[in-house]
Amino acid sequence: MGRLKRLVGWVWRVLTTPAATLSLAFLTLGGFLGGVIFWGAFNTALEMTNTEEFCVSCHEMRANVYEELTRTIHFSNRSGVRASCPDCHVPHEWTDKIARKMQASKEVWGKIFGTINTRQKFLDHRLELAQHEWARLKANDSLECRNCHSSVAMDLSKQTQRAAEIHTRYLLAGKATCIDCHKGIAHELPNMQGIDPGWKMPKELEGETLPSASAIGDLQRAMASIHQGVITE
Amino acid sequence: MKNELTRRDVLKAHAAGIAAATAGIALPANAQPVPGGLSSLEIKWSKAPCRFCGTGCGVMLGVKEGQVVATHGDMQAEVNRGLNCIKGYFLSKIMYGSDRLTTPLLRKRDGAYAKDGEFEPVSWSEAFDVMAAQCKKVLKEKGPTAVGMFGSGQWTIFEGYAATKLMRAGFRSNNLDPNARHCMASAAYAFMRTFGMDEPMGCYDDFEHADAFVLWGSNMAEMHPILWTRLADRRLGHEHVKVAVLSTFTHRSMDLADIPIVFTPGTDLAILNYIANHIITTGRVNEEFVSKHTTFMRGVTDIGYGLRPDNPVEMKAANSADPTKTEPIDFEAFKAFVSEYTLEKTAELTGVEAGFLEQLAELYADPDRKVMSLWTMGFNQHVRGVWANQMVYNIHLLTGKISEPGNSPFSLTGQPSACGTAREVGTFAHRLPADMTVTNPKHREHAEEIWRIPHGIIPEKPGYHAVQQDRMLKDGKLSFYWVQVNNNVQAGPNTSNETYQGYRNPENFIVVSDAYPTITAMSADLVLPAAMWVEKEGAYGNAERRTHVWHQLVDAPGEARSDLWQLVEFSKRFTTDEVWPAEILDKHAEFRGKTLYDVLFKNGQVDQFPLSEVKAEYANKEADAFGCYIQKGLFEEYATFGRGHGHDLAPYDRYHEERGLRWPVVDGKETKWRYREGLDPYVKPGEGVKFYGRPDGRAVILAVPYEPPAESPDEEYDVWLVTGRVLEHWHSGSMTMRVPELYKAFPGARCFMNADDARKRGLNQGAEIRIISRRGEIRSRVETRGRNRMPPGVIFVPWFDASQLINKVTLDATDPISKQTDFKKCAVKIVSVA
Amino acid sequence: MRSQNRFRRLISRRRWALVLLSLTLAGGTAALAQMVPELSGPKQSMDELAAQPMPKWVVDDVRKMRAYPDQPPVIPHSIEGYQLSVNTNRCLSCHKREFTQDSGAPMISVTHYMTRDGQMLADVSPRRYFCTACHVPQADVKPLVQNTFKDMSEMGVKPLGSE
Repeated sequence: MGRLKRLVGWVWRVLTTPAATLSLAFLTLGGFLGGVIFWGAFNTALEMTNTEEFCVSCHEMRANVYEELTRTIHFSNRSGVRASCPDCHVPHEWTDKIARKMQASKEVWGKIFGTINTRQKFLDHRLELAQHEWARLKANDSLECRNCHSSVAMDLSKQTQRAAEIHTRYLLAGKATCIDCHKGIAHELPNMQGIDPGWKMPKELEGETLPSASAIGDLQRAMASIHQGVITE
Repeated sequence: MKNELTRRDVLKAHAAGIAAATAGIALPANAQPVPGGLSSLEIKWSKAPCRFCGTGCGVMLGVKEGQVVATHGDMQAEVNRGLNCIKGYFLSKIMYGSDRLTTPLLRKRDGAYAKDGEFEPVSWSEAFDVMAAQCKKVLKEKGPTAVGMFGSGQWTIFEGYAATKLMRAGFRSNNLDPNARHCMASAAYAFMRTFGMDEPMGCYDDFEHADAFVLWGSNMAEMHPILWTRLADRRLGHEHVKVAVLSTFTHRSMDLADIPIVFTPGTDLAILNYIANHIITTGRVNEEFVSKHTTFMRGVTDIGYGLRPDNPVEMKAANSADPTKTEPIDFEAFKAFVSEYTLEKTAELTGVEAGFLEQLAELYADPDRKVMSLWTMGFNQHVRGVWANQMVYNIHLLTGKISEPGNSPFSLTGQPSACGTAREVGTFAHRLPADMTVTNPKHREHAEEIWRIPHGIIPEKPGYHAVQQDRMLKDGKLSFYWVQVNNNVQAGPNTSNETYQGYRNPENFIVVSDAYPTITAMSADLVLPAAMWVEKEGAYGNAERRTHVWHQLVDAPGEARSDLWQLVEFSKRFTTDEVWPAEILDKHAEFRGKTLYDVLFKNGQVDQFPLSEVKAEYANKEADAFGCYIQKGLFEEYATFGRGHGHDLAPYDRYHEERGLRWPVVDGKETKWRYREGLDPYVKPGEGVKFYGRPDGRAVILAVPYEPPAESPDEEYDVWLVTGRVLEHWHSGSMTMRVPELYKAFPGARCFMNADDARKRGLNQGAEIRIISRRGEIRSRVETRGRNRMPPGVIFVPWFDASQLINKVTLDATDPISKQTDFKKCAVKIVSVA
Repeated sequence: MRSQNRFRRLISRRRWALVLLSLTLAGGTAALAQMVPELSGPKQSMDELAAQPMPKWVVDDVRKMRAYPDQPPVIPHSIEGYQLSVNTNRCLSCHKREFTQDSGAPMISVTHYMTRDGQMLADVSPRRYFCTACHVPQADVKPLVQNTFKDMSEMGVKPLGSE
């Protein structure tokens, strides 16, 4: 016990004593380089968590949502362009991405505590999980959809007449956003009882209140929800 | 008249629906002049059961100018109350494929029959001449055991009955088996072994009474869509109702499941024993019921897989010689036996989440929940199919959840008369009508008395079962073979090595009766054009013991004749001296010099009803041909087997008035639930419950373990193959592939597989692949989407498509007890064609 | 959402096509009648055949005439990926009565509101919940075997004054 105390004291002393033999330039440059290396490592790590392999390395994701994705057009299609998990679930802009990643820290807790570690639990939570994603995509005007599917680039003559008409009437007119109609295109739907089809245009989205589209807002909300207990007490 | 409605009656009955759809036609004459007057629009409506599955839906058929012009669900039919599935709605077109067979076709070279000849149209008399000559040659050279017939659960009751008489009492051969062997045999054996009587104790009314449904290897949403409407009605209309679906992959029935369970192929046996264990360990055994009405047995284990006896797998099995043996045990021994099937062990073996298993077990254990268990081919086409059937009875018997509304272990059937013809008439290689067997001397004697033939005619030894028939054809031990109403070269297992070889074996003469040029017909030496469905008078029996009769409504095309006419007419070409032993004829000289037609069908019973009893407004070609109401005669003679023995059928004429009746029909009343006092007239007051099929009145609870399938994936053949049907096509597709709308709805087979599995192998969605087993291979296309969602390591290929004969790939392993093939489990590998 | 006129035009055009088709069919069948029928599968029963490519669905949204009034209409669009489960019914999200005005889809028939016991409900009867049991999309392929089924409207109709 005494030895440990001494060791801690020594480290403290070394760290707090001003450098006597190193130049200011070295320290500044070194600090900068260290920062770059840290920054690179941080981004690499961030990108690593931003791949499908990472996502489906969890049993929860592989056996449920990924399995369902593999049967859809976003997994295999005519031209072979495909969407992986982060394409739809992580914003591409850096600030938005960081905000989303901070939100995701909650999911790590979910993993540790096994919130959805069985199919049964996953099915029980599916509505809640889906509502989160619908709300997010509604709030950001289906940003992740539009990263690939630009509405102005749609060739209406290549769509079925039914699709072209609906897109003209609702999407191009700005009355609806992608997710309003295209729920359940990449994963199976939860119990949709009481949830109108998208083109019915409900005044408020079902479930929780809509978050705003700003990344800062997302961040604040994420922080608030993580620290919920602390703040209210 | 009750059974034929005019157009206006139908409009009344269907006020809301049909009237709207036909508004243009039904307008009163003064509103819009109808050219030719209203009478020119009239359609004659009559009832019939559907031609397809074992559900037995009632159908109304509209006939105009000698053609069926429309069909719809019969509002008065209890089974379906006005609904049909997509196949049923297109029944109108099944008889009108442009390639209907209209004349007999014989393989000929230089004007004479030749095995390697080409098909040429011949007359019926030439066809029967050649056929009789070939049959007599085989009888003379190889004896009656070389003559055989493969029939069907699509035969009408009369046809099956005529066939069983002709084969057993005529040719003295028990080599008569129905294709129901591939379909129902495990269920039938389990019924006999557990209750001593075949067929379910409950009925479809259970759907409206149950609080939970458990599907054990049945995809009802596709294979029994109308029963699925009744189940969905109950589940969606009543919040407390739960549905559990067990399968080896996710399919349409799982879309309604509260408890979806995908298990490793073959491990359902472990789940069944786990549930029994759960019921016992949580103290929910219905002790009164168990002590009064059940008895415990243990079955022998390691019983083999029904392969050829020289197969190494077979030689290794300890009890393959007598797999049916059982010994009595008591409750404590049973309890100890199932105790090793703990939740943990079962979850690990089956790959199913423990939580789901527990929920499932609770459905059965909860005394306040009425449970209906349902199964079809997942259980029956199983190398331990009889066990699986009996193990589900174990659970119902332990909890007493049986023989009352809503508590019902229910075996579904796949063919319209699997019950009515294959089982009740007894067209299996070992059976006689009304649950009797050929091995029992008393039963044979009884049958001979009813048939008015001398004692000793019916042979004692059971004949070859379906798979054995194929093997014996190949080996040249079965050499005259008549196939009716089935397509076994497409349907049988391991066809290119076993089935097809037997058909083309030069020693054999193969006759196939069919309406269409199926692959089986084209593999034969003589093809006989058959009248189908409402082109003849008929009777079917569905899965809930319902016997349903119909009139001939239209004429068959060309020279096509019903199987009944073919069987009875063919019998005229044999005399008793040619087929019966001299010793018997010496003792019964009155039978000498008579034809088989005389002794079997002109016996004073079958021919007792005059032509005048045939309803004048309906044609009846067979009655005209034989000068008597032969269908009624056959039915009434057949009915004497079961009347007073728990299989009572109503008088024949009544069935023309009813939408079917569930036997036993006692005092004019049908029986919905058997074995329970107040519901079943055969249970006497005070008896409560009595399983009167068994001498001690007790049902059997059988202790048997989990045993692995005959073939499991290994390094080389690394994927499970499951075969089956799809909603839009029925069986081998010989009818449904000829209906353009049904064909276009599912134009060809495909290989449903897991998308990740496909990607790992570099196989694109839609890519052409080879599916290869140790037996053979076919080419198909990869389907990673759609109705069947496959787990890793399992593929599903439907067998309706004659251009993708998946049964070249399957294994001819059977349940050793029921001899029913396991089409659901074998090992294959998938490689790209490119 | 869709013009009724367009439908009428299409229907009348189709009627001519039907007449032509049935004429050619009738001719064709007569010629075929005495020939030995071709097998729909492989010629040599056990031969291996190339697997046909998986066909595309008809997606033209043009209602197809029923072969008889009692026939459930076929679906003139693809339903690939449509979820039809205890959780949700994609078909009803357009074809349910309440949605048809906006979606432009045909309303499900009134028969679908009837229970097993003949009572009319305010919404689709649960027994009719699984649409695909009776309604199927159609692949863009030719029939495997022609069908000689004759439409009832071609029967029994005598021109006015012919009697």
